[in-house]
Amino acid sequence: MIRDAIPREELMDPGHLACPGCAAALAMRLVLKGLGKKTIVTLPACCWTIVAGPWPQSSLQVPLFHTAFETAAAAASGIKAALTVRGDHETTVVAWAGDGGTFDIGLQALSGAAERNEDILYCCYDNEAYMNTGIQRSSATPWGAWTTTTPAGHPEAHPKKDILGIMAAHRVPYAATACVAYPDDLMAKVIRAKATRGTRFLHILAPCPPGWRTEDEESIEIARMAVRSRVFPLLEVEDGERWRFTMEHAPEPVEPYIRKQGRFRHLTDEQVAFIQHEVDARWERLERRVKHGV
Amino acid sequence: MKKVIMGNHAVSWGVKLARAEVIAAYPITPQTQVVEALAEMCADGRLEARFIKVESEHSAMAACIGASAAGARTFTATSSQGLLLMHEMLHWAGMGRLPVVMADVNRAVAPGWSIWTDQNDSLAQRDTGWIQLYCENNQEVLDTTIQAFRLAETVNLPVMIVLDAFFLSHTSEPVDIPEAADVDAFLPRREAALKLDVNDPHAFGSLTRPDVYMEMRLRQQEAMDYSIAALESIDAEWGRRFGRRWGAIECDRTEDADTVLVTSGTVTSTARTVVDERRARGEKVGLVKVKMFRPFPTQLLRAALAGVRRVAVLDRNISPGHGGIFAEELRSALYDLEPARRPDVDGFIIGLGGRDVTPRVIAECLDRAAPGTPGAEAREDLWVGVKP
Amino acid sequence: MPDPGDLANLQHGVPAVAVSDRSTRANRTGSWKYIRPVYQDKVAPCNQACPAGIDIEASMNLVREGRVEDAVDLLLRENPFPATSGRICHRECERVCNRASFDEAVSIHAVERALGEIALQRPLPAPAPRTRTETIGIVGAGPAGLSAAYQLVRLGYGVTIYEAEDEPGGFLRYGVPEYRLPRSIVRGEIARIIALGVEIACRVRVGRDLSLEALRKHNAVLLTIEAHRGRPLDIEGARLTGVQPGLAFLAELNRGLRPAVGKRVVVLGGDSTAIECACAALRLGASVSLVHHGGREDLPACVDEVQQAACEGVRFEFHAAATALIPVPLGVDSAAIDGVEASFDEHHDAETPPRVASVRCVRFAPADDSGLPREVPGSAFSIVADTVLVALGEEADLRALPAAVAQALGKARADAFGATSDDKLFVCGDLLGGPRTIEQAIGSGKRAAIAIDHRLREAAGIAVRRPDLAALRLGPEGSVSMTRWREDDPVRRAEPINDVVTYEQLNTAHFARVPRVRDRYMTSEWTRGTFGEANLGLTRDGGIAEACRCFNCGVCNSCEVCLVFCPDAAITRASDGGYHLSYKYCKGCGVCAAECPRCAMTMTREDS
Repeated sequence: MIRDAIPREELMDPGHLACPGCAAALAMRLVLKGLGKKTIVTLPACCWTIVAGPWPQSSLQVPLFHTAFETAAAAASGIKAALTVRGDHETTVVAWAGDGGTFDIGLQALSGAAERNEDILYCCYDNEAYMNTGIQRSSATPWGAWTTTTPAGHPEAHPKKDILGIMAAHRVPYAATACVAYPDDLMAKVIRAKATRGTRFLHILAPCPPGWRTEDEESIEIARMAVRSRVFPLLEVEDGERWRFTMEHAPEPVEPYIRKQGRFRHLTDEQVAFIQHEVDARWERLERRVKHGV
Repeated sequence: MKKVIMGNHAVSWGVKLARAEVIAAYPITPQTQVVEALAEMCADGRLEARFIKVESEHSAMAACIGASAAGARTFTATSSQGLLLMHEMLHWAGMGRLPVVMADVNRAVAPGWSIWTDQNDSLAQRDTGWIQLYCENNQEVLDTTIQAFRLAETVNLPVMIVLDAFFLSHTSEPVDIPEAADVDAFLPRREAALKLDVNDPHAFGSLTRPDVYMEMRLRQQEAMDYSIAALESIDAEWGRRFGRRWGAIECDRTEDADTVLVTSGTVTSTARTVVDERRARGEKVGLVKVKMFRPFPTQLLRAALAGVRRVAVLDRNISPGHGGIFAEELRSALYDLEPARRPDVDGFIIGLGGRDVTPRVIAECLDRAAPGTPGAEAREDLWVGVKP
Repeated sequence: MPDPGDLANLQHGVPAVAVSDRSTRANRTGSWKYIRPVYQDKVAPCNQACPAGIDIEASMNLVREGRVEDAVDLLLRENPFPATSGRICHRECERVCNRASFDEAVSIHAVERALGEIALQRPLPAPAPRTRTETIGIVGAGPAGLSAAYQLVRLGYGVTIYEAEDEPGGFLRYGVPEYRLPRSIVRGEIARIIALGVEIACRVRVGRDLSLEALRKHNAVLLTIEAHRGRPLDIEGARLTGVQPGLAFLAELNRGLRPAVGKRVVVLGGDSTAIECACAALRLGASVSLVHHGGREDLPACVDEVQQAACEGVRFEFHAAATALIPVPLGVDSAAIDGVEASFDEHHDAETPPRVASVRCVRFAPADDSGLPREVPGSAFSIVADTVLVALGEEADLRALPAAVAQALGKARADAFGATSDDKLFVCGDLLGGPRTIEQAIGSGKRAAIAIDHRLREAAGIAVRRPDLAALRLGPEGSVSMTRWREDDPVRRAEPINDVVTYEQLNTAHFARVPRVRDRYMTSEWTRGTFGEANLGLTRDGGIAEACRCFNCGVCNSCEVCLVFCPDAAITRASDGGYHLSYKYCKGCGVCAAECPRCAMTMTREDS
């Protein structure tokens, strides 16, 4: 049963300020369960800045350091260095950033930390836009999506940036995608990441009801459909070379996933077919990587 | 132990003796020797510190902030463009009350590219909540670097040590390097009262509403105000232990002076020779060296300059649209003196972009300092040494 | 004078930096919601479908939790014959099992049988405490009467059953052949009932050995007589020698006699009785054909028994009906003849009709839009037969009842529980009509026990609610639960409501496909030659594995999907084994209810 795969300790308190049905809140809750008490989290500007609670509150039972938007990986590197120099080699330092703070403004710091193989766990919870500031596009926004800066008349025109490929190119020891709808898979990856040294990267899909225009109660179902339709494959990469699917299943078409979200409501059937084509092509590329490492 | 070392290496020695624990730095001319020497010291174990070779100055300060928040003693060095890039994070260290220590090699800002000295880079950071200490010579650089850690950790504010590009950074001078044990006695290991600690978890820097933010600013201001006395006390102790004192300001022959030069950085050394010359000629000229620019030592400067007829401030910087920054801050500090005791203050813009400030330039400033005339132009700064 | 360098302490009412000193638990984010989730147990479709009123879902859950003995106890609350019903009931539950829409229905009968066999290994129970002074007289020790007796003795009454036959059991003893239901099983389960304190007086026929008046010395009298006869065969040749009612054939067999069958048996009919006749005849050495008017899927018998019969060699003639039975012509040795037609009018010996020689049949096309099957012209065919067993179903026959009983019944109307307008008289079982199956009998006996318990306690001045069918039945159309009547449910329920959960209401994303564990059958080569038990059922491990396939529709089984997926950590474990949902923090997002695999949660409006 799922309950046997998920550690019982709660390190995130209720009363936090996430929207109802927020998968980013669930992602943090699950990741902290896997990491345990000896964890320090640094948080750049993102939804979680607000979710964590205003001063004098904190929703986390572990130390939390708020930092500037572009600095998650750099601040985490500094924290880890301080712990190491003072003899603490156990505490996990986590950079917990949204897609904006990872794919865009935070990419430099992330790349620098990854190239230096800093001993940090970088988690990107991806709701596919700048949600905290009111749903503006990021380079994680998928092709065709509505956001306030890519309105329905001119929706997102660029494909989602391949952040996992970027991290693989840095040859970090461990990088993986994960999804809140598959908590046992996520937990196994968190535990594996915790036990690995060097830069570890987790890319977690976190549906956002107001941003994706879905119902509050559907967040898990949407996340599940994203995986099953291969829009968000579940993968692991070791040292940038050894790729592995962590979930294999018969593919489902993308259309139900797309049509369930209001942010795609304006898409024509041809556009949906294009998305299907791109998803299929990307899956084939992934299969080649899994088979041949390239 | 006395060694002839360049200014940059004086910084390195200071950092080593202070036993900095985490260094995160990015290279930029003319700072590079600071971190190169430190990298060597870390590599061969003379300094037990983690050296993070970050990919930009913004990340350097972010890493220092993270490390400092986790309780380590941290250091970085930069200059000019790098310092400007750090600007956002300087505020973070300031309001975050983190005792990061940084050496800034004063270098003019681009465009056009310049590697030579002026003070615009550091002075543009004057609102970030950093203590700023301007050094005149390499001995002062080394002493100030070590004192900076002590000061920072006493008041919990970040401290910037400023030294002129090339005139100090690359100029070798004899420097008395104290013994490690003596420095250890002066500067013990940092024990942060508040830090990121898994045994006592807190969140730092959360959303702060209008009903409390202002009080936190007030506390920062109060810490700043307190830093002057704190520096003087620390400096006095340094004097007792090592036989040298620098003060927040230094007054040279100001008690009976008619005209006082106000300087900072290496210009001070040149100015001293001009004061000697004038005194030899019987002119009552004095000198105030401003070492501590932030917090601005208002009371000390009032005490030093009240009753002086004429003050000539030499600014190796410009706040475009206003004037020389030391001059404007000084005028503001002296404004509340009763009119009879308030000096006329003339500001002189000199040496921008590394233009040499010779005794002749300083003499010209002295000569052009005139009693304040009603109806004088609003800007009240004279640019000396520029082509017409 | 406070030290400005001191960060930890407050000055101007604030710390030096924005450092937290409390949890977000101070925020009552529950005020945001306008709908709220509640744990609300509903009824699994199997529970509703079971005519015996068994809480199947709860039994499965107890097995899954490793509480096998508790599962047995729960089962025995409603059904005294689990080892029997697990063998012969018609599995209405499996037909509606939601798992069938996912992969395969749970093998509920097999799990019940396995639990029943565990129960049979226990020592016999001590007599039930006699907490009431009243006694009840039950006429007929068939499954309905035994079920009622079982419940009544457990309610504290004195119970005596009067049975006309040599042994108790009714059709369990005298109807179902041994290869399907070993006598030892029946005797073992009845022994348990007797051990509880039920007296059974055999060879007592009411109307002959005991009058209805004498029965009335009891505080209540329950009539459960089998009042039925086989539907007669109404075609030419129905009275030929070798044509006999299937039930009589089976009864003879079960009395240990060897009924007269020839070598070529044709069974007319398609229900369990017909299949049993066919398989029994096989074992007596005959070759057997069975003629049924519908298709294989229309047979009112279990799929398994049909399959087994086919494996053993019964030939099925579907979509066919007998139109005439043809006798052996005079003077001809019946054993040597294949289908010769002769005129029925020519037989001479009026006392011993000639033997049947063949059965003439006709085919039907599948039913058309009118719903009626149509004879296919020119499709007549014959089957050689020296024995014809007629098993076309049974119908009520009150004429079989003793006069006094029939008269009494004629005047008294029975309600849904079997109470009549005669204060002392109650009815259950065949007399009430309905399908004649063990599961119906168990349910019927139970309902009568409830009616008797209510009436007797009311008469004794004890405050007792009238039996309310809507409240006692499992689901809006289900049978009645004794546990609900006794109000001593050992299973923890959260706000139970009587709605049944459909497949669409489940969230099957949380289930993996697992094949159904199959019953273990002996080879048909072996089984067709013996009356030993053909189906060995499941091993204990197999039973546990199969119980784990149960979705537990509508009832929380502590899977904790809700707890795992709550973005607000608003669900925690409660000390009583259930879950505490903190409405102080719950924002009403609905993820828990949407993800609940078994629809054990309901979203309701905040103000309701």
